[in-house]
Amino acid sequence: MQKRFFSAGFPLSNILRTTLLLVLLTGIAGAQTVYKQGKAPAREGEQPLRVIMVGAHPDDSEVKGGGTAALWAEQGAEVMLVSVTNGDAGHQSQGGGALARRRAAESRRSAEILGVSWRTLDIHDGEVVPSLRAREAVMRAIREWQADIVISHRPNDYHPDHRYTGQLVQDVAYMCAVPNLCPDTPRLEKNPVFMYFADRFKKPNPFVVDVAVDVDRVMDKKWGSIDAMESQMYEWLPWVAGYLDEVPKDKAGRFKWLKEWRGPRMLGWTDRGRDILINRYGKEHAEQVKFAEIFELCEYGHQPSHEELWELFPK
Amino acid sequence: MRKMNFIIKHALTGVFLAAFLLLAAYQPSAAQTVYKGGKAPAGESNGPLRVIVIGAHPDDAEGRAGGTAALWASLGAKVQFVSVTNGDAGHQSQGGGALARRRAAESRRSAKILGVSWRTLDFHDGELVPSLEARSAVIRAIRDWKADIVISHRPNDYHPDHRYTGQLVQDAAYLVIVPNICPDTPRLEHNPVFMYSADRFRKPYPFIPDVVVDIGAVIEKKIAALAEMDSQMFEWLPWIGGRLSNVPEGKKERFEWYRQRRFRARKGRENSYYEQVAARYGKARAQGVQFVEAFELCEYGRQPDREELWELFPK
Repeated sequence: MQKRFFSAGFPLSNILRTTLLLVLLTGIAGAQTVYKQGKAPAREGEQPLRVIMVGAHPDDSEVKGGGTAALWAEQGAEVMLVSVTNGDAGHQSQGGGALARRRAAESRRSAEILGVSWRTLDIHDGEVVPSLRAREAVMRAIREWQADIVISHRPNDYHPDHRYTGQLVQDVAYMCAVPNLCPDTPRLEKNPVFMYFADRFKKPNPFVVDVAVDVDRVMDKKWGSIDAMESQMYEWLPWVAGYLDEVPKDKAGRFKWLKEWRGPRMLGWTDRGRDILINRYGKEHAEQVKFAEIFELCEYGHQPSHEELWELFPK
Repeated sequence: MRKMNFIIKHALTGVFLAAFLLLAAYQPSAAQTVYKGGKAPAGESNGPLRVIVIGAHPDDAEGRAGGTAALWASLGAKVQFVSVTNGDAGHQSQGGGALARRRAAESRRSAKILGVSWRTLDFHDGELVPSLEARSAVIRAIRDWKADIVISHRPNDYHPDHRYTGQLVQDAAYLVIVPNICPDTPRLEHNPVFMYSADRFRKPYPFIPDVVVDIGAVIEKKIAALAEMDSQMFEWLPWIGGRLSNVPEGKKERFEWYRQRRFRARKGRENSYYEQVAARYGKARAQGVQFVEAFELCEYGRQPDREELWELFPK
């Protein structure tokens, strides 16, 4: 729906052009536009904003950034979720190519619900190391998507695949603008903004909330996208945590159970992001927010101000 | 005849005694010495102090420690700059071996101005990983130079080559004294002091200026040395920064352009070290200090106290 606003001839694009010009005239270069009229800010040439979320496994981006991705997509941004691994080790009784194919199918259904694209870099689950080959695969993915914003893990997290995915993405910040590296794939002319997904780890440094997004409006989509990851939500994750027998057999029952099980963790993000929510949405609105997603700005890559950053994220 | 012999004998003894006393007074043990008489303190081998600065690219050592190196060299210390990579990706239209050779020639001209020696470990630019191969190359370079002081990057910085160079040098701290590691190259008998050059990154923790050096006396030398890196200062760095069109045509003009930029860019940043400058140089002098290089003591390697550390660095 919203995408049509970008087509030529629609009066809103003229408003946008004027807004852009005004902002440029006042001398604020960079991420100029605003989320007025429920639209994602445009990049240069009024092309939609392009976002790539790089998770280690099929389900990481969906859980940590799915709501924000859905909001962005609704507002006209182009969002791609990438899973660095194909997830082929994440099951108690399945594995290998068969599991990878199952999880790819789940991820595509999930992406469809969120209104985003999906791909995997097809590295074996549990075997991500910060090799040059993996770095190049990440670099090509980011360049091919022509990303303005890249979101990934911090390099400290409980799972080595998360940590090394974080490290690989950090290693691409800056390098994606260097034409002599991966010369087969055109470089990005602008270094994207690099962000981290939330985590609970404190050492060597705790996660810092730079952006908080109210995702209540799209929680049905987010729950739907997580529900689509059957192999994980109803089989592997309950099994490895030791309560597989608690999972209801019927679809409605297990979906309810999923929300009760995963919900409280997500509420923690809202509490941690409350101050930023108040700043972004105002006190009254912020206090009503149930589910939020939170992100930290990486020191590598383009460094927008808080105000500029907040304009880039959906509201 | 006999009288003559007696006189000669005693005269000679006197000369030897005087020489011995002079030597004893003049050749103090390793690090207790001072920069009295404008001389660098002796190194562990009792010859001149030996310093190795290990940067990721040709221009990193020059940019972060060029002034301190020039001061050390003028005081009699032996300084070597090492570029771990050969810089063969740092250009918008050139690359590979041809670019590496060009940058080696630039670096040698630059080193000559500063009075230091130069070498590269010849790894590909943009592809440095903390491999054993690279670690061994770094260990051998430090040993070959018989370094008393090693200066490199911190393992957090915007460029992965910087981060991994920092990690490799950290990995060499201690191993340089272990004879069974790289047994082809004689071990160092004393673990050097390892230092980090300054950067602006805050996570996981910010840079701590343990030593600051007023490089005002050699700033023109430093700028001239950096300006020898044509491929970087007048081509690649302006290009990737999106301001290539600002670079003047003529050799003299572009040098002056670059010089002015250095003066402008440096000033503001170095005020942040005012406290440290005042502590080392006194408040009266600190007021007039414009150009500073700062270094942090690495926790690995020899751990001198602050007083000793300050005596090792030129003043």
